[in-house]
Amino acid sequence: MDNSQTNGEAKCIVTNEASAWEGLRAGTGRQLRRGTLWMAETLRRVLGRGRAAEPVEESAAEAEPPLLLLGGPGSGKTALLFAAALEAAGDGRGPVLFLTRRPLQSLPNRTRAALDPLRLQKIRFQYPPSTGELLQLLCSAHEARGPTPALLLLDGLEEYLAEDLGHQEAAYLAALLLDTAAHFSHRVGPGRGCGLIVALQTPEEGDSGDALQLSLLQRYFPAQCWLHLEAPGPGQRCFRACLEPGGLGPRAEWSVAFQPDGEMTVTPWPTQACDPSSNKGSSSGGHP
Amino acid sequence: MADALAVVTLPTVVEELLNEMAAAVQESAQIPDEHLLSLKFIFGSSAIQALDLVDQQSITLISSPSGRQVYQVLGSSGKTYICLASCHYCSCPAFAFSVLRKSDSLLCKHVLAVYLSQVMRTCQQLSVSDKQLTEILMQKKQKA
Repeated sequence: MDNSQTNGEAKCIVTNEASAWEGLRAGTGRQLRRGTLWMAETLRRVLGRGRAAEPVEESAAEAEPPLLLLGGPGSGKTALLFAAALEAAGDGRGPVLFLTRRPLQSLPNRTRAALDPLRLQKIRFQYPPSTGELLQLLCSAHEARGPTPALLLLDGLEEYLAEDLGHQEAAYLAALLLDTAAHFSHRVGPGRGCGLIVALQTPEEGDSGDALQLSLLQRYFPAQCWLHLEAPGPGQRCFRACLEPGGLGPRAEWSVAFQPDGEMTVTPWPTQACDPSSNKGSSSGGHP
Repeated sequence: MADALAVVTLPTVVEELLNEMAAAVQESAQIPDEHLLSLKFIFGSSAIQALDLVDQQSITLISSPSGRQVYQVLGSSGKTYICLASCHYCSCPAFAFSVLRKSDSLLCKHVLAVYLSQVMRTCQQLSVSDKQLTEILMQKKQKA
């Protein structure tokens, strides 16, 4: 039942998108679950470098759900984003697009991987200075030539939201981020996808902040990873990273510690990564 | 349709209803009454308005050579709104309002109409250049 009449620019078509539609509907749940596992795997690889790497099913690397990385100032979001960039760059799946307002002052995370020029080459940094420029970048993302990014990262979403955006504008920014990643996924082709991780600074513990804006963002980013400050040891800072895949996978937690030289070490929670000699006040393995 | 549509998901009951409707439309090219009733039950008056929009061919799927797509919906007031193809967003005031209400899903009659037009597999199609698509997307950068 396919009739099409052309009239001017617009065509009125009874389309036969049967397979696409049903495939999407039927596969959605499965894809989302597998995508979450893949997302969790990537984060696990980044965060659990000490463990023996578990094989990542290639089939799981499809449309992975976007992830919102949240934490207070100095909680290691940029370092984690950068580590994810390096991980993806080493994957060979495609370049990484790293968006942030200001150039990183120094490369966080001075591990061997961070200094590998082959990986660094695959990370494209862009610095949209204002919300308007960021919107322009996202709206025109389909015009860009060259290899399609396999991972889209945005650091400092709060800076772009702070520009006096109303809630609808904030929703549009979040939606455009998803739409851009979706377009990249579509271009990269089936069986692969473009990931999206966005870092958002939350107010210091105890400060209420804009709860409505946060809950709005959480509706666009059902998978979140929270970085909570734990009791610091001497000269190092410890954070607890809680991955909440939005109910589509197991929760997971890690302890992330930053040494004075910037090196980041990660161990699964509740095994403490913090310096054992300064075990004072570090919270115990119990967590809600 | 981008797979990431799944990311801002509909409640399961709505997904199931849309699935059933899609299957029914495949058989008889019409939405059965019971599905219309379910739609009304779930969405209230938005369902009628959304169905009207579909009937009036008010939904246009705009795509460019890049493969990126966006929906444009002609509202009842004569204004056009854009709805993203990959996740829930509409530039209309009702969507802005639903955004403020934490308990509701992010939906307005235009987004619902887009879903319905997919189920019924009928909408206008428009091809534009990559640059034009950028402009369409940028248009909805809100003026304060």
